[in-house]
Amino acid sequence: MSPNYIAKRLVMIVYTLFIVSLIVFAITQILPADAAVMMLGENATQDALAALRENMGLNAPVWQQYAIWLGHVLQGDLGTSLRTGQPVGPVMFEALGRSLLLAFLSIGLMLVLAIPLGIIAAVRRGKIADMVVSLISYAGVALPEFVTATVAVLVFADLMKWLPPTGYVPLTENFAGGIAHLVLPVCVISVILIAHVSRMVRSELVDVLHTDYIRAARLKGISRGQVLRRHALRNALLPTITIVALDVGYLLGGVIVVEEIFAIPGIGRQLIVAIQARDLPAIQAGVLIMAATYSIVNFIADILYAWLDKRIQYG
Amino acid sequence: MLEMKRRFFLAGTAAVFAAPALGLAQTAKPAKGGTLRISVDQAASVIHPLLTRVNPEYLVTELLYSNLTRLKVDMSVEPDLAESWTPNDGLTEWTFKLRKGVTFHDGSPFTAKDVVATFKAILNPATASPGRNNVGPISDIVAVDDTTVLFKLSGAYADLPVAMAYTNARIIPASIATGDLKSLSTKAVGTGPFKLVSYEPDRLIVVERNPNYYDPARPYLDRIEVQVFPDISAEGSAMIAGNVDIISTLQPTEYLRLDGNDGVEVLRTPSGQFCNINFGCDTAPFNDARVRRAIALTVDREAMVNFVTEGFGTPGNDTPLNPSYQFFKAAKQRQKNIQEAKKLLAEAGFPNGLQATLIASDRPAVRTQLAVALKEMAKEAGITINVQTMPHATYLEQVWKKGSFYVGFYNMQPTPDGIFKLLYTSDASWNETRWNNKAFDALVAEARGTIDAAKRTELYTKAQELMNEEVPSIIPSFFDVLSAKRSWVSGYQAHPRASVFRLDYASLTDKAPKRG
Amino acid sequence: MADFIKRLLRTPQGAIGVLLVLLVLVIVLFGPMLAPHDPETLAPLTRYKGPSAAYWLGTDQYGRDIFSRLLIGARATVVMAVLATIAGTLLGAFVGTTSAFLGGRADELIMRTIDAVMSIPSLLFALLVVNLLGSSTVNALIAVAIAFAPGMARITRSVALSVRKQDYVNAAVARGESSAYIILREMLPNVIAPIIVEMTIRISFAVMLFATLSFLGLGAQPPAAEWGLMVSEARRYMHLSAGILIWPSVAIAVVAVGFNLLGDGLRDALNPRT
Repeated sequence: MSPNYIAKRLVMIVYTLFIVSLIVFAITQILPADAAVMMLGENATQDALAALRENMGLNAPVWQQYAIWLGHVLQGDLGTSLRTGQPVGPVMFEALGRSLLLAFLSIGLMLVLAIPLGIIAAVRRGKIADMVVSLISYAGVALPEFVTATVAVLVFADLMKWLPPTGYVPLTENFAGGIAHLVLPVCVISVILIAHVSRMVRSELVDVLHTDYIRAARLKGISRGQVLRRHALRNALLPTITIVALDVGYLLGGVIVVEEIFAIPGIGRQLIVAIQARDLPAIQAGVLIMAATYSIVNFIADILYAWLDKRIQYG
Repeated sequence: MLEMKRRFFLAGTAAVFAAPALGLAQTAKPAKGGTLRISVDQAASVIHPLLTRVNPEYLVTELLYSNLTRLKVDMSVEPDLAESWTPNDGLTEWTFKLRKGVTFHDGSPFTAKDVVATFKAILNPATASPGRNNVGPISDIVAVDDTTVLFKLSGAYADLPVAMAYTNARIIPASIATGDLKSLSTKAVGTGPFKLVSYEPDRLIVVERNPNYYDPARPYLDRIEVQVFPDISAEGSAMIAGNVDIISTLQPTEYLRLDGNDGVEVLRTPSGQFCNINFGCDTAPFNDARVRRAIALTVDREAMVNFVTEGFGTPGNDTPLNPSYQFFKAAKQRQKNIQEAKKLLAEAGFPNGLQATLIASDRPAVRTQLAVALKEMAKEAGITINVQTMPHATYLEQVWKKGSFYVGFYNMQPTPDGIFKLLYTSDASWNETRWNNKAFDALVAEARGTIDAAKRTELYTKAQELMNEEVPSIIPSFFDVLSAKRSWVSGYQAHPRASVFRLDYASLTDKAPKRG
Repeated sequence: MADFIKRLLRTPQGAIGVLLVLLVLVIVLFGPMLAPHDPETLAPLTRYKGPSAAYWLGTDQYGRDIFSRLLIGARATVVMAVLATIAGTLLGAFVGTTSAFLGGRADELIMRTIDAVMSIPSLLFALLVVNLLGSSTVNALIAVAIAFAPGMARITRSVALSVRKQDYVNAAVARGESSAYIILREMLPNVIAPIIVEMTIRISFAVMLFATLSFLGLGAQPPAAEWGLMVSEARRYMHLSAGILIWPSVAIAVVAVGFNLLGDGLRDALNPRT
């Protein structure tokens, strides 16, 4: 893993964010909303609106507005919310923190469940265990998150009263309570991921088990379990890193819905509120932060992949 | 005699309200202390008291600020920062006597200067306060001395004490009103029963007891947490789990769900809150009153009450007043009549029916329900309605006040004058229908300068007859205001106005869970 | 072909997938004819009814027959999802194949740009597009298609790259055929099989995405009988009658699982493993 490779990947992140900034700026430019009206409200006088437009630079050419906005973003200033009048950056980053907690717990749960399930299914291919895992994975992709979430709340909170239904409690305030509030949302998000990843692990492992290299090892008289542990798993799990990293995009999408239902004030919820209120600076900042998160996770995954790949080849 | 009666009426109101807590105190004395959690169904994006626009925002500023007067649950007015008030004979000048010894949260004393500065700020167009047209026809306001304020009006106005309770007429310090007015977007300096602790618009607003509140008995609670729930079903679940103590605004479906749950009490009060179908009366084909009346005739109002409110409402008669308002007299109820509707359409030049696109914003959901129900009802008369829903922000931007056929949704106003001047007169704040009917304007103007109740009722009844005939908007049904609380909350009632909460009267019994 | 179908039906996934998708197809084609009631007529007296002889799956919040609405809404739901997926696939396949054919710096630039677009979650991207265009079924379709295009482009490219190395493409290049000819006539047909597999699975994603857009108020418009809209509307009324929520959910699950199974079955049938 050369410094060159890392540098190249870093340049890609910058390019990605540049493209995203163009897209999001273009979209927010065309969105049917007048930033000045959004800010002053429906009762503003025409004079006040005109003055504000001039003040906010809304009368300048679009490319100039983009340049000014980008300049501010590069200096770490993501703008001021039209809705609340507060700076967008700190609000969005605080929200991102909550979403990342949700996302990491979901990925953790997914890894703990999906990888063993995938391995069992591959090893016992065609047997009952494989069928059961298949069934689970198909059930996982059968319904959209908002339905799973609704049913989960109905069953585990309203009916069984095992878990708090919704809401968010900061872990710093009340650790046990905070975790209890996260159980249902984490499970709901994980369901689709588990379905997806366990299938991927299964099919990768099935492929690896059929390679000449593994057959040769088996012929050499190495036990089945050892082949699996020593050789097959390593090769099969490696692509899983990439898949999980790509799934982060899906995860961030799922977070939007789950946060809406469970009243978690994360970045997905912030984005929904921003989109509904046509809060342009908040939309721009939110999308940019989401894209950056996705890029950085994939960057780390690629580095990890390259690093592990080497160890496998030479180790 | 008339003179006597008025004096008696006005002085009497003030005298009775001098001991407002009496009615509640006669049972058990409310316990002090505790943290109450109240849920709201949309973010409180604005806490600037002069700029708030929706109920959750009104809830927050009501905790932090005081008005000169406030509305009781029976919609009558009681003193708040003002102790008493008297008009001149022509109802064109009102003198308010203010409470002594009140301080703002920052320790500065409250005086007449603050009242003057507050109303000047509200009336200043540059402030863009939504309450600008709702605080009465004020032409000038003078601080006579530290505890006396004189309002000079541009015309006779009997409802000024009620207007003083308007949701945007919260009193702020003069130093802020004439200085950095914007600073109230992120902090709160009021004289209200609670002080702001923290403010996250989309999640949680926390307030704590103001130890220097003018009434030493109130508030009873130490702390209130206002929690935002974007999803109403989740909100109901939180109530069932006991994680929230009060749901401020409850949807009928959730009312039915919560009713009968252990430890949950559902609250209901009839109200003048309504959804209406607005016509742009200056736009074809709706510039023809016959077309408007024809569509109104297709509505089965009883069925509508069921569809849009699950029965938690009352039929409307295409005027914004109902028995929840003062000065109301019931008129003949419009009934569904498809024959008549078809006849009117034919007369208006649409013998083969009519096509139109009805726009409904997606919040609250009743707008869409109403639109879908109307679509089906109008079908019978050969009227084809396409329903188009859109996000609320888009609706506000593109349709509201501009469109010619869309669904509106309004809180009950404190007075008939309030609702007419908000929506229906030519100079209304939100003249959505562009009805611009001079005879109607004249009736409303005359009524607002009339103190005699019978005369006022007669004027408003005439105004309503005009509306019912011309149908600037269809008002098919009124909604009851619904709310829910855990049974360990006492002293809380649903308020017909929907934007008044009076949480300084709420308290927790010893059954309530101990929090933080 | 017969051999292929046999292979497809031999796997449990393939067999069940074909069965479910056929069922859906029948409903799409004949549903409106089979529906016993009008899907939009209000019936104040029959609201929130449970299943009965007249209303097989009960009635909803307006007293409308849920069974009829499902039968009629199949078109709005499934056809839209299929169309959106096809549109997204065509767009993506074109970009991916072109990129693979051009190779070198152009390929690099196109793929990096696609990676950049993919860093915006597809749901968020669809949300932004619908907000831009206004909420309607057609706009939701466009949004889903656009959201799918980058992923499909990536997949097409990797398949196309392996095709690009094949002899018949080299031969066409040697013959001096135009780029357009090579992309459209030589390369696209050979990348189609794996793309169809991916597409089949994505149809179920599209159904989810449409439903989620409806949940967020940006998909189909009431009183349409689109299943996603039915489910999201039902969330308000589910405490009064569970059937309003359950039946459209089941319908969505049938489509999602059906197309998923069919996709997996197709994949196995196309790459027979020993």
